[in-house]
Amino acid sequence: MSFESSATAAGPAGSPPPHTVLVVDDEPTARLALVARLKRLGYRVIQAGDGRAGLEALRRERPELTILDWMMPEMDGPSFCEYVRQDPELQTSQILMMTSHDQPEQIAEGLARGADDFLSKAASKYEITARVQAGMRAATLVRRLKDATEEIRQKQEALEQELQSAARYVESLLPPPGAILPGVQMVHVYRPSLALGGDLFNIVPWSDDFLGLYLLDASGHGVSPALRSSSFATFLRRDSLLRHVGSNDPGAILTEANKQFPLTETGHYFTIVFASLDLRCHTLSYATAGHGGALLHRRSGEVCWMAQPNLPLGFDPSTSYVTATLPIGLGDRLYLLSDGLYEFPAANGELWGQGRLEKTIQALGRQPLETVITETIAEAVRWQGHEQFPDDVALMGVEVAI
Amino acid sequence: MQTKERPVPNGVILEMTGDLTYANREQFKTAVEAIRQKGCRHLILNMAEVRFVDSSGLGLLALVSQNFKLSQAKVSMLKPQSYVREIMSLANIQKLIPVYDNEQDALSGHQRAA
Repeated sequence: MSFESSATAAGPAGSPPPHTVLVVDDEPTARLALVARLKRLGYRVIQAGDGRAGLEALRRERPELTILDWMMPEMDGPSFCEYVRQDPELQTSQILMMTSHDQPEQIAEGLARGADDFLSKAASKYEITARVQAGMRAATLVRRLKDATEEIRQKQEALEQELQSAARYVESLLPPPGAILPGVQMVHVYRPSLALGGDLFNIVPWSDDFLGLYLLDASGHGVSPALRSSSFATFLRRDSLLRHVGSNDPGAILTEANKQFPLTETGHYFTIVFASLDLRCHTLSYATAGHGGALLHRRSGEVCWMAQPNLPLGFDPSTSYVTATLPIGLGDRLYLLSDGLYEFPAANGELWGQGRLEKTIQALGRQPLETVITETIAEAVRWQGHEQFPDDVALMGVEVAI
Repeated sequence: MQTKERPVPNGVILEMTGDLTYANREQFKTAVEAIRQKGCRHLILNMAEVRFVDSSGLGLLALVSQNFKLSQAKVSMLKPQSYVREIMSLANIQKLIPVYDNEQDALSGHQRAA
């Protein structure tokens, strides 16, 4: 059974609604006396005559404070408390337990089973007032905390959605795998360490038999490197390169990029490997800036790293980056990769390293490019013992079949 | 990372202990900036006790070198460990910050072939 009791006269317009107290007691006389006292104190009061009705009223009305009798049929006070503490929606309710004999053991048991405070049935009206006010203070603080937590949760969710949407944008800048030109296949993996990565790569046909490709790595992790990378990717578009550099030469492109992208005031910068593939002359030209470079895996099985010891971009505005050129033949494969693919430790701290990466790719040999890419990542994951790389990982494989 | 300053003729040696990484960039920046503000002409970074430099640390070294250059001062590096030395040489850092194997050479600016 459950009784409702109308609130005391509404306060003047604009004043906050009165706090609500739920009184749960099976003895009508005691209950009505307490209800009358609470109403005189200005609270809105609801009542229930047993534990079950009390739980219903608690769930429905969410009073600031519940005053609960210990001894009741159906569900006694301590069982009521235990139930409330296990219910995620109700668990922060403030409960004041009433008892006729205030023995220390009983008080300890009541607190242990979930009551917040005790009130003796013999308490003076001053003590009742003081305990109820203390309970209200606690209830108000808990409510503020819950509201603040909820606000933070909502903001966090909005922020994460923003990040996800930015991450989708960055991934939309990556080239779709498949045939880039007749006879040139590309497969890639992109595993940013956070939602947003600072690694970016692309492969773009500049004519029927000429391709530009690059892999860049913005130092740092998260939003800022992702923004810097996408702005750099815009600089590396074909039309922009023609305007700013006026040349296909990788060295000339990096020399200009070095001027356009100085070290940031927090010391952030890019490393990059930039290459062009001339299918008519069968040559591969490249330049690197502070980048571990690319791996050329020839059809013969020979492996060579394309890297020059060079300053990263922005370290010194007077640096000239020089193009190196290699012959490239049918069936040769080129792997552009970020240092995140070899500079990560096993559980014992030992780094995987370029040597192991090279051996892995060499051992996979002439298996389909897709398999080599997938298995290389799988081998790296086995080395570190888990899926989550500490840095952004990017790997783009290109096979020349003409 | 821990740092300790030691004055030498015409400069300051900064004894560094720990890793030069993103996590402790602020400590390093604060220590170095304080030295630059005092009008130091030659900062010598003693890297003998530095085990690891990450990409963020590398950027900081470049930034410090640029800032000292703007103050008409120079930065040198002393005794980097082999792993750190390898990272430095892949990024060609010795072009900006000369590397020395002993204090005397660093002070005199006499660079032996690395």
